Amino acid sequence: MATRERFPPAKEEAVAARGGGRSGRLVSMVPSKFRAGGGGRPGPSPVNNCGLHLVIQTSSVAERNKPFEFRVNKDQSSFHNRLLQHDLEKNHSGKQGDGRLLTPLVRNKQVYVPVAANLADLSGLELKQGGGCLSAFGDSSIHTPTKSRTRQGCHSAGPNISDNIHFGSSASITAFPILHRAADEKILNSDRLTLERQKLTVCPVIDGEEHLRLLNFQHNFITRIQNISNLQHLVFLDLYDNQIEEISGLSTLRSLRVLLLGKNRIKKISNLENLKNLDVLDLHGNQIAKIENINHLGELRVLNLARNLLSYVENLNGLDSLTELNLRHNQITSMKDVDTLPCLQHLFLSFNNISSFDNILCLADSSSLSDITLDGNPIAQETWYKNTILHHMMQLRQLDMKRITEEERRMASVAARKEEEKKRESHKQTLLKEKKRLTIGNIARQWEIQQNRVALVTSSNQDKKDSDSCQINCSAAYVFPEETRSLDTILSNSVQGLSVLDSHLVEVEGDTLYLYGSGALESLDRNWSVQTAGTVITVSFMFIEFDEIVQVLPKLKIRFPNSVHLKFKETNIVTLQQFNALAQVRRIEQLTVDPQGNPVVNFTLWKYYVLFRLNHFNLQKINGTEVTQNDIVMAERLFGILAHVASSELPQYRLLSLLGESRKKQFCYMLEAKGKKSGIVSEESNDSRRVGGENANRAILNYTTREFHTEKLEEIKERKKFCQTYIQDLVKEAADINMKNESLQKLWPQMFIELVRDAVIEIRNKNSYMKLCLQRITDQK
Amino acid sequence: MLSPERLSLPGPEYLAQRHVLTYMEDAVSQLLENREDISQYGIARFFTEYFNSVRQGTHILFREFSFIQATPHNRASFLRTFWRCFRAVGKNGDLLTVKEYHCLLQLLCPDFPMELTQKAARIVLMDDAMDCLMSFSDFLFAFQIQFYYSEFLESVAAIYQDLLTGKNPNTVIVPTSSSGQHRSRLAPSECSPLDGVEASLFYHCLESLCDRSKYSCPPSALVKEVLSSVQRLTFYGFLMALAKHHGINRALGALPDKGDLLLDPPMDQELEKLLSQVSGLSISTPAGSSGDIANLPTRTSPRISSPWKPLHHRQKVNTESDGSTDETESSEN
Repeated sequence: MATRERFPPAKEEAVAARGGGRSGRLVSMVPSKFRAGGGGRPGPSPVNNCGLHLVIQTSSVAERNKPFEFRVNKDQSSFHNRLLQHDLEKNHSGKQGDGRLLTPLVRNKQVYVPVAANLADLSGLELKQGGGCLSAFGDSSIHTPTKSRTRQGCHSAGPNISDNIHFGSSASITAFPILHRAADEKILNSDRLTLERQKLTVCPVIDGEEHLRLLNFQHNFITRIQNISNLQHLVFLDLYDNQIEEISGLSTLRSLRVLLLGKNRIKKISNLENLKNLDVLDLHGNQIAKIENINHLGELRVLNLARNLLSYVENLNGLDSLTELNLRHNQITSMKDVDTLPCLQHLFLSFNNISSFDNILCLADSSSLSDITLDGNPIAQETWYKNTILHHMMQLRQLDMKRITEEERRMASVAARKEEEKKRESHKQTLLKEKKRLTIGNIARQWEIQQNRVALVTSSNQDKKDSDSCQINCSAAYVFPEETRSLDTILSNSVQGLSVLDSHLVEVEGDTLYLYGSGALESLDRNWSVQTAGTVITVSFMFIEFDEIVQVLPKLKIRFPNSVHLKFKETNIVTLQQFNALAQVRRIEQLTVDPQGNPVVNFTLWKYYVLFRLNHFNLQKINGTEVTQNDIVMAERLFGILAHVASSELPQYRLLSLLGESRKKQFCYMLEAKGKKSGIVSEESNDSRRVGGENANRAILNYTTREFHTEKLEEIKERKKFCQTYIQDLVKEAADINMKNESLQKLWPQMFIELVRDAVIEIRNKNSYMKLCLQRITDQK
Repeated sequence: MLSPERLSLPGPEYLAQRHVLTYMEDAVSQLLENREDISQYGIARFFTEYFNSVRQGTHILFREFSFIQATPHNRASFLRTFWRCFRAVGKNGDLLTVKEYHCLLQLLCPDFPMELTQKAARIVLMDDAMDCLMSFSDFLFAFQIQFYYSEFLESVAAIYQDLLTGKNPNTVIVPTSSSGQHRSRLAPSECSPLDGVEASLFYHCLESLCDRSKYSCPPSALVKEVLSSVQRLTFYGFLMALAKHHGINRALGALPDKGDLLLDPPMDQELEKLLSQVSGLSISTPAGSSGDIANLPTRTSPRISSPWKPLHHRQKVNTESDGSTDETESSEN
């Protein structure tokens, strides 16, 4: 253990060399330091405490009984050197990433796994090594110091070999060294051969060693793999630390299960087609930029591509047995296909360039992954890093070498859920926003159509509207992409849009109530919560006919008592008298009338008229500009006479009726909250006096909506008709009487004369007249 | 009022001709409309007030257009009221557009038709560039002619058109408002190279028109005066000349002379009162409640104010200021 602490990177590493097939075999290398003091057999040599054991067990029955044990004992110093060397090579990076115990199995004692054929025991197939993380396939190599079993003691490798092996240097020009081993050596290590640190620049021709299973060329200068195609039983080939540029010459080695090509100059993965049984492939420390040509390696369990030039990870399908994938120290930004690896358990991605979880989203889909490292990536700096990873990969047991506790997992999922909720919320928000935008676009379009219908009267208006509507349509181009179109198409299109979208929109945002489209006015009938209603300070009307707004103003007064700022945009305020209608609101401090859709704003006098008419509100701002004392005086100067004339010169009865009428109307309002006819707009004098004292003389200046006005005119016309006939009758009668009277006057003198004459004639004969009179008297009796 | 000629006509015709019937009808109509209120203070009182206000010319305030244009007296009253109410706008020197003037008109008469205002503007602007700004006085005088003599002008337009096309106008003068308006609009664009019609012939036609017309016409002597000064003239030239003619303005009697247009001392006094109230009050209570600015002109007494007398008799003196003459850009010629 002390050793471990002294050399932190030098952790145990294990490559589980899977004993697949009938002839599964076990390769196990155990650093002897862990064996020291442990059970197991004592090292044959005193310096053995640092040696490595390699145990290869063949499955053949014959061999099973007497497993070969190869034990390499190296002197302490050389081992240390090696360790140090590896430390340098992988420097600090190894500290975390490599110091893992994959399997606690082979720790302190040498293990003899009895029979590799016991397939269930696969996990026990370990190749252990002291020098580096083999599981990570270390940025180191597997040191297979498989010297011949040096019973003679542990000499340095070089002389050792030279003792037993003879390179026959043939005189031929090809100058391949030909290797011959001494017979006894051959017998001792019949299936293994180590040519470590031999300064070889080419592979020697190995003669008479067809049965060779393990071949080690570590630390040479070999540039090309050749001359080994006859070794068809080769299981283990170690070419760590050479100068190979291309993978080649392996096509006949069908039994090869472990291929170690770390620390070479390979640029491309190729020529592995026949190595179908490959179990471990180590390509770390090369110059590979792309993962390719490995999809057929269905038996591959360990793949090490650390310290290469990969930037994308893909093309991993087919690696159905892969349990461990090392990709440390590349430049990976994103990866995929990881979810197609059914057995992948360990994935090492430390020190790459991954900055977003989206780029490695496939990890979340892997059900087998239980261990992952991502340290040294930009993503690991993020605050959400751990939570996100844990949340998305519930099956994970270790992250960055740390065991994940249940607590962490729970917290992560809570946090991630929160995150997700937030995301959903914001998504909803954007959806809402989008919908709002569409709706407003739709309302605007409808409004334009309405305006076009209304305003076909004057051509100049028409032009303006057209350009306006085009503007609006352009802004809503996603709905109706074509920009030039006739009115007809606009109409038909909008009818389509109508069915899809709302024709009005009501929105409270902050202290502002936005009303889009005339339908929105109905919302004023809704029951607003006291709180909401209280916060509304600004009321903004858009795309609503002013006459319609006028009808709901009394409601506004009731529903939103705190509203002091009215905004009008696209409301068709055309005349000054329309402002009269605003006098009935409870309070206005600010008035904003957008020039868009409100032609009245183009008048030089409009502001003064507003100030004059709404004098009782003491307006603070009109269209954003402060109202000054001068403005007020000016307003009075311009329109004061009008008010004076209105109030002082109107006949009493009309004054009463003008005010009275509105009073009546207002009364109607109270009675039927939704009076359809209640267009009349003016102040109830009592009310206004109570609220803030509106000038009585100004109250006469009221506004009747067009609709109501025509109604009224209709009424007047009817009354007039009646009056006309009435007066005509009267006059006729009077004239008749007059005529009769006149004719009477004309006749009377004559009549009188006649009467007198008759009387005179009658009484001319006194006697006879007397007689007549007497006669009459007697007759009466 | 009781001229002897009343005896020459049968009663109803006379009454109609003098618009007595109109006012009687209207009085009854008003009575009906406001019967609740009126019943409180008596029908006799109502009729007194009504005919008083007719006499003073205040009866047209805020009334419907059909009533305002019903009689010459109403028209004159309206013109006068308009002048009085918006004199301050002219005094301020603002030049306004047709639409804006129309808005002002609508403040007094909510259903005042745009068409009429536009025609008036056409007189001022000689039928082009309808969006131009106009001075108050230019507009007012043009409007006066257009409004007061609108039927006459339509007939004139028809005659003018006929003269242009070479017809004998005397045979066909039964102008309807629509046709007349239509043709008058076309008139200037169809000008012959000689531009307009011969003045004397034109006058001849107008004279006979005036004789026959049942609508009010300008005094033919004054028309003659206008037409005799030139050889030929266009339709709008003629209207412009009418609008600028002092005699006609006087004969009409609704507005003061041009020089005195911006003067109205009694009203100015009232205005000063109002202003002192506004500024005084809002200075004393800078941002406070507008409170009681309100209750100002409690009508002093139910109107003993002077009945309307023709203005130019009263105000002949002031003729120095001629400030408003030709502020309007294209108003000349």
